[in-house]
Amino acid sequence: MKKYSALSLLFSAIVLSIIALALYDPYLLNKRFFDYIGMPDYQAPPQSKPKPDIGAVTVCDELYPEWRKAYTIGGVEIEPSDACNPDNPYEVAAFVLGTNNVIMPVLMKTQLSDDSVVKTNDRDGDGDPDDIVIRVEIAELNGRSPDETEFLPHFEIAPGIAPGAWVFAPKSRGMATVNREDLTANHLLRLPSAPIRVEEGDNVTLILENTHYFPHTIHLHGVDHSYSNNDGVPQTSEKMTMPGEQHVYKIKPRQAGTMVYHCHVQVQVHFMMGLQGMFIVEENKPNNWVQTFNVGAGKVRKPSVGVREDYDQEYDLHYQAIDTALNNLIQTSNDPRQLAKRMNRLYDITDGTDDYFMLNGRSFPYTLRESLITVESNQHTKMRVFNGTPEMLALHTHGHKATITAYDGVDVNPLAQITRDVYSVAPAQRVDLDLYTKDDGLHSYGEGIWLMHDHAERAITNDGIAPGGNVSQIVYRKYLNKHALPNGEGEDVSPYFSPEYYKGNLPSWVASDAFGFFDDAGDKTVNSFKDVALIIVLGMLAGVLFLLLSSIYIFFHGLAAKLKGRQP
Amino acid sequence: MRFFTYSLLLILSLMSYSYAAMRMGEWGMVMNENSEQLPQGCDSIEGEDKIVIKAGREYAKEFPGTIFGYSQHTFSFPKCTRVEVTFINEDDIRHQFMIHGLPSYLHPQGMFHMELYGRGETTGTFITPNTKQTYLAHCDIAQHTEKGMKAQVKVGGGNGNLPSIPGVSGQLNKDVYEIDVGLKNLLLLAALLMLGFAISVFFFTRNKKTP
Repeated sequence: MKKYSALSLLFSAIVLSIIALALYDPYLLNKRFFDYIGMPDYQAPPQSKPKPDIGAVTVCDELYPEWRKAYTIGGVEIEPSDACNPDNPYEVAAFVLGTNNVIMPVLMKTQLSDDSVVKTNDRDGDGDPDDIVIRVEIAELNGRSPDETEFLPHFEIAPGIAPGAWVFAPKSRGMATVNREDLTANHLLRLPSAPIRVEEGDNVTLILENTHYFPHTIHLHGVDHSYSNNDGVPQTSEKMTMPGEQHVYKIKPRQAGTMVYHCHVQVQVHFMMGLQGMFIVEENKPNNWVQTFNVGAGKVRKPSVGVREDYDQEYDLHYQAIDTALNNLIQTSNDPRQLAKRMNRLYDITDGTDDYFMLNGRSFPYTLRESLITVESNQHTKMRVFNGTPEMLALHTHGHKATITAYDGVDVNPLAQITRDVYSVAPAQRVDLDLYTKDDGLHSYGEGIWLMHDHAERAITNDGIAPGGNVSQIVYRKYLNKHALPNGEGEDVSPYFSPEYYKGNLPSWVASDAFGFFDDAGDKTVNSFKDVALIIVLGMLAGVLFLLLSSIYIFFHGLAAKLKGRQP
Repeated sequence: MRFFTYSLLLILSLMSYSYAAMRMGEWGMVMNENSEQLPQGCDSIEGEDKIVIKAGREYAKEFPGTIFGYSQHTFSFPKCTRVEVTFINEDDIRHQFMIHGLPSYLHPQGMFHMELYGRGETTGTFITPNTKQTYLAHCDIAQHTEKGMKAQVKVGGGNGNLPSIPGVSGQLNKDVYEIDVGLKNLLLLAALLMLGFAISVFFFTRNKKTP
């Protein structure tokens, strides 16, 4: 066997390494290299990668555009809505009149059960019912199935983004999904938990029917209620409502205002999973039939008499955040015992970071479909803002300074009311705003399409990719197109409706960069003699290193043989 | 075209509540019953059968990891048989018993659907088709099927089992559990591993000695 000189091999390796470095970039060997031999030749960087094909995207997936107009159903006057997907007017009528007071054809146009909202007895003789029975169920969204490959019932907060969640929903009937083939959630099952409205002084019976697989309760945060068996706190007032059980909460609220209802079992988990909603007590007025549920929050299509006296329209704005490290745990097992351990004991909220930020259950761009505030000039719009996130909300309105009229359901003295453009709302806090569209340079700077968003910058992203999060818009109606979407003068929004955008696969300015200045740079290829020489030298270096290793092996092999006392 | 689709949908939705086989009230609903019309291939109703299905969390006790359940998870009927189903809900919440995949000329969307809005009882009737098939029956409230309310209806012996039927068949997306590190289990594991080891060693050394 021919023996190589280890020393000569080592020498070759060093020489080849230096040649390779010099071929790759002599600047690395000596900073003044090019001073001696003149500047390097021009070598074109790689071309841009071709623009990715976004494919067909649906900006507005309108199902029932006819629902946008004003309706009168069963004597209930329902205001028009500008949303791409507006609330079902028949459902609004059933919520206003009570599911017990609407005719069968109206109820059949909804998916509500006959007993979901029962309204009877005008006790004070003022023309509206005062005994109100409200039934809520608990639904899981994007949960695991032992057999299906998808998570169901499917609910997207933004294109391709479907985190696990739990919600309170009005009692319904029939299937949770659209049908056996389309596993999308029926439209009553969605984020956020539906805002509930009652009238001051009503005898309200709120029945929690626990259709979920964990124990739950309802705590009526800020709403006037008695303590015993009625506060929803398992440590103090009552036993938890187990799966298959129901709990009856009885209240007769003496104060009007924007309040909250939420589950008080393992709050750090259940509140963040979505078991939180707005609970609004309206002032007692004659003939005041209030819209008991506002599914999906947003525009109230039948505002109360009290609100209508002072305002032209009303919006419920519910802000939420999701940490997928918690919410997607429900997609890891079908066994509730494992889920209870992972959610209650292994997940640590003190190490949690929020990934998605939602307004009314959706993140931008889906906020464009249903969470726009649409206005005319010189209007007063009542906006009830609830911060359901675990951090401060710094809500900012472009082009407008709104006036804070109430905190936590308590009116601010009119003399002390503050008008500003960043409204700080603490976790679980509610702020009522009067958005006045008078073009006076203070309340409004004039007509247009004006953003409205949390100014804590993480909240305008979808898991770090902007634009996303709770970004919405105040839109003057003349800027709406026939699909009820804003016709802006800015960039094309269609790339944001592609799931690829939020996976980070599309350049941020893909649709607005005709020159391709900011497209993804192409990858390096072998395209010069220098590259060819470099690769060959690297190959030679590998060969030398191989021989070096093999001579080391032979050396040790010989040594081992000698130690054993045999001939090599 | 779109107008046509909408008007069709409207007519369909109007039909669904005026449909003769629909009963609905504060107690719940029974939808798409069939006690008279013969399925294709059936010359006559060849038999009558009655079953009672109880639904509730009581029936989950038997199957670890479930929360809801039915009193029975497999039902077998001959072909062309009229079945009267008594559905009893023992919980204070909504439950359903919904059979899928039945002939759609008898049952719109192929569904026979019984639903109770709370504790109570109702009855409904359907006629088994003239096919040897296993049909899915479940409660379609979010997570009820997943947490135990899944059953199968075997007509004429059926064509096999559906997955995740409590006590009958396993999951397709298996849940993963940790291994018990108790002494008994560890000893058993060690003994079985040693046995496997011994088998392979014996096999190979024996093979070497044979010429």
